[in-house]
Amino acid sequence: MVTITGAALTDYNRRKDGSSFRDWVHDAFQDALKMSTLDRSDIDLLVVSSESDFFTLQLNPSAVLASDLGLVGTATIRAEGGGASGQIAVHAAVNAIRAGQARHVAVVGYDPSASNLSSEKIKELYGFSFDAWTDGMTGASSTVLYALSAQQFMAEHSLTDRHLAAVTIANRKNAFANLKAHLGLLHTEQEIDASPMIANPYRRLHCSPLSDGAAALIISESSAVPSYRATAPWIKGIGGASDHVRLGARQIKGQFSAKTIAMARACSDADLTPKDIGLVELYDAYAGAHLQGLAALGLSENIAKDIAENTFGANGRIPVNLSGGLMGQGAPAGAIGVGQTAGCALFLEGRHWSTLQPQSPPPYALADTHGGLCTTAAITILARRDAP
Amino acid sequence: MINHNISLEYELNSGWLNPWVEALHQGSALAWQCSACDSASFAPERTCRCGQNSGRWHPLSGIAVLESRTDGADGSFALVRFIGSDTSVVVALEGIDLGQTHGQLMPYKFSDGGVPRMVIGPLEGVS
Repeated sequence: MVTITGAALTDYNRRKDGSSFRDWVHDAFQDALKMSTLDRSDIDLLVVSSESDFFTLQLNPSAVLASDLGLVGTATIRAEGGGASGQIAVHAAVNAIRAGQARHVAVVGYDPSASNLSSEKIKELYGFSFDAWTDGMTGASSTVLYALSAQQFMAEHSLTDRHLAAVTIANRKNAFANLKAHLGLLHTEQEIDASPMIANPYRRLHCSPLSDGAAALIISESSAVPSYRATAPWIKGIGGASDHVRLGARQIKGQFSAKTIAMARACSDADLTPKDIGLVELYDAYAGAHLQGLAALGLSENIAKDIAENTFGANGRIPVNLSGGLMGQGAPAGAIGVGQTAGCALFLEGRHWSTLQPQSPPPYALADTHGGLCTTAAITILARRDAP
Repeated sequence: MINHNISLEYELNSGWLNPWVEALHQGSALAWQCSACDSASFAPERTCRCGQNSGRWHPLSGIAVLESRTDGADGSFALVRFIGSDTSVVVALEGIDLGQTHGQLMPYKFSDGGVPRMVIGPLEGVS
């Protein structure tokens, strides 16, 4: 069994204080290690998640961070899978523990997606997250590719721009209660409708921001968990999958098939079903991707009805993105999956911000991350310590 | 603050895709046709859905049918299916008005940075 003994996130925003990604990683790691009650000498493996060296101009970042964190001598690896990098790093840690190769693993995720390069350069680089030789060479942006996929999904599920507005408002409203969020805002439909069209159906306010930030986890083999951490949550199951990298090669272009497969694998690993999940941190790079994700995870059979009934609201049956998600909390690429898992762990243990924390955490939570146009999917299911 | 200004000039070899890339430079479309099931893919899929990874290049007319399109500040793009291909592909649109259903592959356009862009324009002879 695998336990999350430490979890921490920095602010997600656009840094204007002169700090660097190395500072953010240091801060997140220190907080997670303190929560774990472990010593840095207990850490057997450091797993580092960052989407691209282009953002930091630092190749081989694992060695740099091992030095900064006082982990010289510790084994290091770097995980990369686009936007899914952080969740893939979590999976690498879980697999190392399950294989008996480590008892305590530090996972750190980060990216300076906002402050190191201009937004135009970041956007150009993200365009190469897809097949750089075909889709990438058309000049199509990430927003364009997501838009073409969302159009087909929305048509198949009879969804309109009202549904895009509903999830945009909900995510940003949740972020409003998150003291570390990038875009905590109380939007109106009129504001969203008035924002510039980037690639229909997506307007600017339907998009997640480019953010700076870091997150860290200390993941432990359960028999080695310090006694002070008796309420620490489990990692119950993990699952990953991939899809055709090119949207045009997919048979159903509005469907996030890799997410569905990854979810089935995670549920099988956890011996659970989607109906057992009571809280979700979902990869909402765009408002439509939020809706596509709900369907792919098997959390909704009728998206329009569930949105209308507030099934996924803060007080709904399955709260989704209490943190604000990527759209509200922010999106420092390599930190996203680590931060989602950290957030779920804090929620399950009742340690999140009082403004976010559900009074009665559910037994099971899900962290859902993907890279590309859901080309790489990685899902982690967490369980409260006393879950059945 | 540490400032860096790096200019990278890549010369990317296109490998097995070279015939496809060279044809695009001329405004011609080549599909990759599976030797086992005859399925044709544009853009080329090196390993076919049937699992076979051998095939041959097969010329297409270059006429594409629009399946869906998106327009906005990021430009005009579409998912299209080239006639004779069994897969779709994303292309940039140039001069294709809303409501037009077909387009014609144009010789490679190049962005300001020199990156080739796969573009379709109006069918020849159609205003």
